[in-house]
Amino acid sequence: MDVSFALTGKGYVLVAADTTAARSIVKMKGDEDKIKSLGPHLLMAYSGEPGDTVNFAEYIERNIRLYQIRNLYPLRPPSAASWIRRSLADSLRSRSPYSVNLLLGGYDTSTYTPHLYWIDYLGTMATVPFAAHGYGSYFALSLLDRYHDPEAPLEEGLATLKRCIDEVSKRLVVAPGKYKVKVVDKDGIREVEL
Amino acid sequence: MSRSYDRALTVFSPDGHLFQVEYALEAVRKGTCAVGVRGKDVVVLGVEKKSVLQLQDPRTVRKVVMLDDHVCLAFAGLTADGRVLIDKARIECQSHRLTVEDPVTVEYITRHIAGIQQRYTQSGGVRPFGISTLIVGFDPHDTRPRLYMTEPSGIYSAWKANAIGRSSKTVREFLEKNHKDDMTRDETIKLTVKSLLEVVQTGAKNIEISVMESYGKVTNLDLPQIEAIVQEIEREKEAEAERKRSRLAATAAGQAAMSSRVGEAEAAQPSGQQ
Amino acid sequence: MARRYDSRTTIFSPEGRLYQIEYAMEAISHAGTVLGVLAKDGVVLAAEKKVTGKLLDMSGAREGGYGGSGEKIFLLNSNVISGVAGIAADANSLVNYARTAAQRHLFLYNEDIPVEMLTQRLCDLKQGYTQFGGLRPFGVSLLYAGYDPHYAFQLYHSDPSGNYSGWKATCIGANNGTAQSLLKQEYKDEIDVEEAVGLVLRVMSKTMDSTTLGSEKLEFATLTLDPATKQPKAKIYKPSEIDALLKKHDLGKKDEDTEMKTT
Repeated sequence: MDVSFALTGKGYVLVAADTTAARSIVKMKGDEDKIKSLGPHLLMAYSGEPGDTVNFAEYIERNIRLYQIRNLYPLRPPSAASWIRRSLADSLRSRSPYSVNLLLGGYDTSTYTPHLYWIDYLGTMATVPFAAHGYGSYFALSLLDRYHDPEAPLEEGLATLKRCIDEVSKRLVVAPGKYKVKVVDKDGIREVEL
Repeated sequence: MSRSYDRALTVFSPDGHLFQVEYALEAVRKGTCAVGVRGKDVVVLGVEKKSVLQLQDPRTVRKVVMLDDHVCLAFAGLTADGRVLIDKARIECQSHRLTVEDPVTVEYITRHIAGIQQRYTQSGGVRPFGISTLIVGFDPHDTRPRLYMTEPSGIYSAWKANAIGRSSKTVREFLEKNHKDDMTRDETIKLTVKSLLEVVQTGAKNIEISVMESYGKVTNLDLPQIEAIVQEIEREKEAEAERKRSRLAATAAGQAAMSSRVGEAEAAQPSGQQ
Repeated sequence: MARRYDSRTTIFSPEGRLYQIEYAMEAISHAGTVLGVLAKDGVVLAAEKKVTGKLLDMSGAREGGYGGSGEKIFLLNSNVISGVAGIAADANSLVNYARTAAQRHLFLYNEDIPVEMLTQRLCDLKQGYTQFGGLRPFGVSLLYAGYDPHYAFQLYHSDPSGNYSGWKATCIGANNGTAQSLLKQEYKDEIDVEEAVGLVLRVMSKTMDSTTLGSEKLEFATLTLDPATKQPKAKIYKPSEIDALLKKHDLGKKDEDTEMKTT
């Protein structure tokens, strides 16, 4: 039931995810943060099998942190994405695979470019200008096709994101009520209100 | 006789020594000096930095390293051993966070490091780590600064202030004499620099200072800052020496006056006797 | 007395020294010189070959591949070259290890391994051989010349103890003291590759035992950025290219026959 979106703009990546934690048809809580900061310039939105998601995200978080402490510099977004995809692909072929879908947004401070990666539980990875996971993707992708502009300033990007969220609220039977939105750019990571 | 007791590492000598461990301590004593001092709500690490050669890249010469956001380590002894041990500790820090969701306490990571060092004194076919470490930091949700030391034997202990490496005995004695409880940030830094100056003749350019003020807040002092502190210490020393000299001069003058008077008296006597 | 602590595997002597490591370093100080200079737009490596002979078949090297003779200078990864001094067999095994480590990094992270990380990988292995398993240390020092986006061009040196450090210019092997002091005098910051090549050749010609430099005694390599792709490009010189380079810098062998004729 999770819904997550992400899109790039001029020097930033926006990542949004709903905040419901559900079990079967019951909503357990409405303020779950499903976007982890993996470093000073790296965000990861995760969705999928509850339990798997948190477990996998924490495993990734700690390993990426270890890399930064060991080397005094963080993994760059493309390398981090490759490593995360590899972890997921390895897990898929193990006895107890993680069932987790990811959106990875990062800002590369050495080339001054935003990066966005779409990764699913089968270990598929794609570099994309915008992305979505869950039921929301059926409504949002067409909107993003129409309105996304990789050179858009932050306000415009937020407006596009709002369109997606509004459309999902309007049309999806099990639309989530609340979203958390985070942005990553040259100054790092911060949360924004829609 | 003792010949075969210092090779096989797991074996005691007849008089109860583990020679390899003792020799490893010798390797530590050859290393550059590192000092740790605890203040009221601050803990300072100071290390003696070997002069970087003209063509060397100073970035790659590291003696103080972070183990996690809130734990800092300095070591003395074999650099390569240090790097390997530090790596093991860093892994443990993250692994601990992953399993229990909490950052390590300073004592926990110290105990872990000491544990590794101990294993290398007891299993066959290995030599001990030739390093001692000073570990400083703050526990999560706590404001008390911590300072620990580990040794090649695997001993670890908590300290108010301590030194490892070259001439550590001199520095420790200095610290014992001058350490006070509840020092402020500036006092703590000054004592650290002062104690290092006991063994570092070349002054500020061979000293590195890291200050930890609270959970996760670490600053490294830059050269001008250290130079300023060194100058202040030198001024104080000079003033002290000046006072001593003037006091000496005063007593010397007093003595001279006394003796001259005595001399006069003596001179008077013989004539009186005559 | 001292003999008691230096014959077997690496253990501490009563003074806290590791004799095996010190002896390994001694072995290296007799090996062929390897010299590296870091420039602002590249890194230059040169090495003195010890194995020479009229009957040595060098055709493999001449036909290309990575160039060089494969005795002193190796390509570890597309962004790192290294020069080795010490026991050749040990060096080969280390080079193999380094190449595997670099490929493993590429496999996991889809990027070239950062230079310092590769250096660390090798040093961790070397350190291990000084600490456990009844092994002797590796009798090899290496220079690593490489490029990565984090610190751009870099030059590192590692020794048998597993220590490493970064350098602007340094030298290992025979006569490294002389070379070191020459480098200290002549090295300038902001040097470019062109000047660095000249500097390396000059210092090499002064430190090598033989009077004349030639491709049969010298290996040479540079690492620069490809102007078109902005990717690091290693060039290990072929013997003919080395001779041409030497001639250009006026350090080449004088053709004795022609000299005879003219006099």
